[in-house]
Amino acid sequence: MTYTPTLGGAAPAAGEPPRDAVSIFERHRAELRASKRMWNILALAIFAVCLVLSVWVSRFYPERLAEGVPRIFEYFGTITPDLQWNMLFEGRGEDGRAVPGSLTFWYTDFWTYMTLLWETILMAMTASLIGAGVAFVLSFPAAANLAPNSWVFWISRRFLEICRGIPEILMALVFVFMIGIGPLAGVLAIAIHTMGALGKLFAEVNENASSRPVEGITAVGGTWAQKMMYGVVPQVAPNFFSYALLRFEINVRASSIIGFVGAGGIGQELNRVISFYSDDRVMAVLILVVLMVTIIDLISERIRLGYIGRENFA
Amino acid sequence: MSIASISAVSDRQIDDLRAAHPEAFGTTAKTLRRWAPLAIAVIYLIGSMWYFEFGKLLDSSERALRLLRSFVVWRDMDTWAYDQIYVGIMQTLAMAFLGTLLGTIGALCIGFLAARNVMPVRLVRQLVRRMLDVLRGIDSLVWGLVFVRAVGLGPLAGVLAIFVSDLGTLSKLYSEAIENIDRKQVEGVQSTGAGQLGVIRYGYLPQVLPVFISQSLYFLESNTRSATILGIVGAGGIGMIIIERFRAGLYDQVAFVVLNVLVLIFAIDWLSKHVRLWAIGGKHDG
Amino acid sequence: MMLKLQKLTRRFGENLAVNNANLEIPDGQMVGIIGRSGAGKSTLLRLLNRLIDPSEGQILFGDADIAALKGRELRAWRSDCAMIFQQFNLVGRLDVITNVMTGRLYDLPSWRAMAQVFTQRERAFAIQALDRLGMAHTALQRAETLSGGQQQRVAIARALAQEPKILLADEPIASLDPMNAKIVMDALRDINRQDGITVICNLHTLDTARNYCDRIIGMQGGKVVFDGTPDLLTTDMAREIYGAEADEAFNEAATSTSLGAPMAASRVPA
Repeated sequence: MTYTPTLGGAAPAAGEPPRDAVSIFERHRAELRASKRMWNILALAIFAVCLVLSVWVSRFYPERLAEGVPRIFEYFGTITPDLQWNMLFEGRGEDGRAVPGSLTFWYTDFWTYMTLLWETILMAMTASLIGAGVAFVLSFPAAANLAPNSWVFWISRRFLEICRGIPEILMALVFVFMIGIGPLAGVLAIAIHTMGALGKLFAEVNENASSRPVEGITAVGGTWAQKMMYGVVPQVAPNFFSYALLRFEINVRASSIIGFVGAGGIGQELNRVISFYSDDRVMAVLILVVLMVTIIDLISERIRLGYIGRENFA
Repeated sequence: MSIASISAVSDRQIDDLRAAHPEAFGTTAKTLRRWAPLAIAVIYLIGSMWYFEFGKLLDSSERALRLLRSFVVWRDMDTWAYDQIYVGIMQTLAMAFLGTLLGTIGALCIGFLAARNVMPVRLVRQLVRRMLDVLRGIDSLVWGLVFVRAVGLGPLAGVLAIFVSDLGTLSKLYSEAIENIDRKQVEGVQSTGAGQLGVIRYGYLPQVLPVFISQSLYFLESNTRSATILGIVGAGGIGMIIIERFRAGLYDQVAFVVLNVLVLIFAIDWLSKHVRLWAIGGKHDG
Repeated sequence: MMLKLQKLTRRFGENLAVNNANLEIPDGQMVGIIGRSGAGKSTLLRLLNRLIDPSEGQILFGDADIAALKGRELRAWRSDCAMIFQQFNLVGRLDVITNVMTGRLYDLPSWRAMAQVFTQRERAFAIQALDRLGMAHTALQRAETLSGGQQQRVAIARALAQEPKILLADEPIASLDPMNAKIVMDALRDINRQDGITVICNLHTLDTARNYCDRIIGMQGGKVVFDGTPDLLTTDMAREIYGAEADEAFNEAATSTSLGAPMAASRVPA
C-alpha cells in the first residue's frame, strides 16, 4: 500500500472549483483582497474629490500661494522689533520718552498688557470654576447608568451637547450684544462652553464608575443625591479634577482671543494691535500671550501630576 | 451591649471612644483641609462676580429677551441669500479639510524631528519643540488675523491659520506617539541593514500610522469648529457671514446659520468617529 | 414582626428568576438559602431589599406591603433591612469610618448627608460597630486598602450602623478564604443571637448552612424546593437541589469544613 500525501483529501470533480485547503484559503484571500482593494480605491476616490473640491472652494492655488507666502515672511519682518544692543536697557529719557531700539520703547505699554493678561487669567479661572461647577451637577443626570430616568438623561445630554457645540466666540458675540462690551460677556461665553465640554467628559467618567458602591448606598436607604455623593463622587473626583485643570489650560487660550469680539481680556488689545499696526507692538503682545499660555500650562501640569502622584501613593 | 442602638450611646461612652480613637472624631486640621478649598472657591467666585459685574446680567434681561425672540422668529425667509450661506459653509469645510491635511503632512515630517528616539541630536529636538510650543501657544484665530494681514482677506488665510496651529499640536502628539512605540519592531528592521529612512518607513510608520490617522480625523472635527469662527477676522468661511448678518441686525439669519453649522459639526463629529473606527480596524487586519 | 412572602415572582424577560415564592420568616431566625448558581437566591434577596422590584406577589412585613413602597418609605425600609454583598460594595475611596456612617444616611438631615458632616454621637456609634467586628483600628484607612475579609467586616459594621431589623447577606463568604469566612459567619451568627436580628443569608456551600442556620431554604430554578431545619435536609435532597453542581458544593464543603461548628458567640468581640 502506498501512501501519497494529499492536501485536502479527494481530488475535485471536473468543473468544480478546487476544494483543498490551500486553494480555498487562496480564493478567500483573493476575495478579501479584492473587496479591500475596492474599499481602498473608493476611499481614495472620495478623498481625491474632497481634496479637489476644497482646493477649488478655498481658492488654494499655487500662484496665490507663491504670491502670499513671501508676504508672510515680509510681514513677520515688519513686526519684529528693531532692537539695538547698545541701548537695549536704556530707560526713559528726561522728557519721559523711551529711546527707539530699547526694550522700554518696544514695551511702552507693558503695564497695560500685564493688566489685560491678568484679566485674561481671571476670566479663565472664573469661567472654568462656574463651568466645572455646573458640569459637575449635570454630569450625573447625563450619565446613562446614573440618570434617574431616560427623560432627564436625554434632556441633560442634549443640553450639554448644544453648550459644547456652539463656538464660544459666537456665544461671546451674542453676550456682547446683550450686556455690552467687557469681560463679563467673555466669562459667560467660556463658562457655557466649558459646561458643555466638561459635562460631557464628566458624564463619560461617571459611566465608567463601578456600580457596586452605588448599590451599597442604595441598600442603606440613600436618596439619589446621596448615591451620587457617596457612591460615585469619591470614585470620579480625581479624574474630574484633572479634566477641569486641562480645561482651565484650554480656557486661558480661549479667553486670550475672546476679546476679538469685544468680550474682554488681552484679545481686545491683540485684535487692535494686529488690525491697525504693522510694527513691533504685534510681536510684543504675541510674545506675552505665548509666555502666559506656556507658564499656565506648566503650572497646571505640575499641579495635575502632583495631585495624581499623591492620589496613587495614598 | 447586646442590642446596639444609637440612642443608647451615652455621653460617657462618646468621651471614652473619643479618647481611644481621637483621629476618628475629626481634627481641626482635617476639617480645615476639607472645607478650605471650597471656601476659597466660593470667596473667589463671589469676588470675581463683583469684579466682572455680574449684576449687568439683570439689567440686560429685557434686551436678552428681545434678542432671543428675534433669534426664533424667522421673517422673510425667501429673501435670505441661501447660496451665500451654503457657499460659506462649503468654504468652512474646505478650509478645515485642507488645513488638517496640510497640518498632517507637515506634522509627519516634524513629528519625527521632535521624537527622542528618532532624532538623537538634542539641540535640534529642543529647537523644534520650542517652535512647536510657540505655534500652539497662539490661537488659530490670531494666526488667522496675522495671515489676513499677510495674504489678504479670504479662505487662504484661514487654511494657513489652521495649518499652522495644527502643525504645532499634531506634531507634538505625533512625536509622543512615536516615542511610545514598540522598540522590537524597529530593531527588527534595523537588523536587516536598512537605512534611517527605511527604518522609519518599515519600522515606525506601520505602528504609528493608525494613531496618526485617528488623531488627524479627530482634529478635522475640532478644525471645523475653528473654521467657522475664523471668518470673524476675515479669514474666510461661514464666520464672515455670521458676523456680517449679526452686525446688520439680521438675528434670525444668524440663528439659522448657526443651526446649520451645529448640524454640520455634529455630522463631521459622527463621520470622523466612524472613519476613525474604520481606519483603525482596517489597518489592523491589513 | 413576621416577614411574609406571598406568591413572590420576578421575571427577567421570559426567564422566571423567582417563581411564586411563599415563605414566612419569623423574627429573630437565622435562615440560610442554598441552591446552585442561578437558582434565584440572589434575586430573592434583592427583592426583599427592593433593589429590584417584584413582577408579582407581595412582601409583607407586619402589615406593611413592602412591594408597594415608594420614595421615602422605601428608603426607610431599606434602612431597616440592611444588606451585605458578596463584593462588599463599600465605597473604596472613602475611609472606613465614613463607610460605616453611610449606614446612618437615612436618618441624617439632607444637608448634613450631602456635606458629609457627622455628629460625635454618630462617630462614636460607628466606632462601636467597628469595634464589635474588631475593625476599629482601621477606622481611618481607605476601605479599598483592606483585605476582602476586612472589607466584609466593615460592610457588616455598616449594616449594624443602620440599626436594622433584618440583615440580608448575599453570598457573604463566597469571595473569602476559609478563615475570614469563619469570622464573617460567626459575626452574623452573633448578631442574630445577641441582637435578635433576623439574618437571611445566601450560601453556596451546604456545610456552612447546616452549621450556622436555624432553617434552610433550598431553591432550584427560581422555586423554593426545600424549607426546613438542617437535620431535615437529607443528602439526597441536597443532591437534588444542587443538581450538576452537587460535587462542587459538597467538595467545597469538605474543604471548608474547617469552619466547623460555630464557636461560642463570645468569640466575636461583643
